[in-house]
Amino acid sequence: MELDFSLVLPRMGMFISGAAVTILASALSLLFGAALGLFVGVMRVVPFKPLQMLAGAYIFVIRGTPLLIQLFFIYFGLPAVGINLSAMTAGVIGLSLNSAGYVGEIMRGGIEGVPAGQWEAGKVLGLSYFGSMRFIILPQAVRAMLPALGNEFVTLIKESSLLSTLAIRELTMAGQQVRSATYASFETFIIVGAIYLTLTTVTGICLRYLEKKWSAA
Amino acid sequence: MSAEDAEDKGAAKSIISVRGLRKSFGDAAVLRGIDLEVAEGEVVSVIGPSGSGKSTLARCLCRLERIDGGSASVCGADVQGRHKNSDIARLVGMIFQNYNLYPHMSVLQNITLSPVRVLKMAPREAEELAADLLEKVGLSDKIRARPRELSGGQRQRVAIARALAMNPRVMIFDEPTSALDPELVGEVLEVMEKLAGSGMTMLVITHEMMFAKDASDRIVFMDDGLIVEEGVPSQLLFNPRQARTRQFLQRLSGGKPGSGLSGVNTDGA
Repeated sequence: MELDFSLVLPRMGMFISGAAVTILASALSLLFGAALGLFVGVMRVVPFKPLQMLAGAYIFVIRGTPLLIQLFFIYFGLPAVGINLSAMTAGVIGLSLNSAGYVGEIMRGGIEGVPAGQWEAGKVLGLSYFGSMRFIILPQAVRAMLPALGNEFVTLIKESSLLSTLAIRELTMAGQQVRSATYASFETFIIVGAIYLTLTTVTGICLRYLEKKWSAA
Repeated sequence: MSAEDAEDKGAAKSIISVRGLRKSFGDAAVLRGIDLEVAEGEVVSVIGPSGSGKSTLARCLCRLERIDGGSASVCGADVQGRHKNSDIARLVGMIFQNYNLYPHMSVLQNITLSPVRVLKMAPREAEELAADLLEKVGLSDKIRARPRELSGGQRQRVAIARALAMNPRVMIFDEPTSALDPELVGEVLEVMEKLAGSGMTMLVITHEMMFAKDASDRIVFMDDGLIVEEGVPSQLLFNPRQARTRQFLQRLSGGKPGSGLSGVNTDGA
């Protein structure tokens, strides 16, 4: 067969607005997921068993169930208990909660990877547990975890395609709409794929830049 | 409680007071009843073979290890009591074998973090203090450097400045030169000797016999979790009463000649 983009290209605007929604949803989820994940990761290591177990249970559930089911539960399930969210809100919450589970586990590894001597230095210099965590341990843990966090962020962008199942007009949804209007499936999904590849590549480059900058700092 | 007894001796005030201190790791008894007094302004070196419990003693005094039996107090404060970390940090400065500088911070930030966050010192005041202390340890030009840009000797001198910034009543050194290349030992010992000369109370766990001999008021020899013997340097080093002390000293001099103060380096840069 021959590639023919003539039907698809006039609808470039739909791809672009779809990509914009994908970027917005991913960026918001990245932000909330990282913040919540930091919290979960710290809870996982604090010397207080109930908090550790709570965070452990959270990670267990998030990592043990499909993201698609988590999204369905929030969007279609929660109205049963009177919580009605817009598709975009439900989608971002679902992605954030999901990402937080993975980021939390990455953070735990990062925190535990900081040498014990750093905790000891903080302690003998008078910092409290959380003072040491904030000023000494976390800054080092995050630097060490940047490659793993980068992978998680790239995964997040790709998984945001599941938001199409909530009828959010992000990039994958836009692709489906263009396909059903033009029947040019092959060309449509080449373009969709290329846009995702661009997003993940740019994210990867940004993270490597950040890594370099922080390790030099 | 133990500070009172020391004070009624009339002489210098007791800064460190240890009674019957015991500490085990699992089945291994590392400290088996240590009694030790360090008076204000006194410099005490603790020597002994590795595994004798010297470092554990130092770590118990700054609450890095829990005590299993007996008591230990610093300036009258029971180190086992329910203190905040900041309470002990105002009393005890600890120097580690591996420096434990914060690698993600500059030398300046390493020094100012605790004064600002713990002592609530104004940042500018803390920076001036850091500059003063760095001058004292001969590293004024390294104030903006990162720890990994420094030699081991320079790192340890920064660690000393960092500990002094908390204005502690006593400085504890846990084998401060053991991780250093021989040619870098001198610059650290020189700073320590200066500190001792300025009247700081010091407890120094060390393998450096030259420092123990020249800079300390008293030497304590530990073996197998106990203090075997203590005395002024000339007596303990040259006329030890205990056979085990003699054995230890003989083994030292039989080995490599001491990497003592012979090559004192006055400029670490």
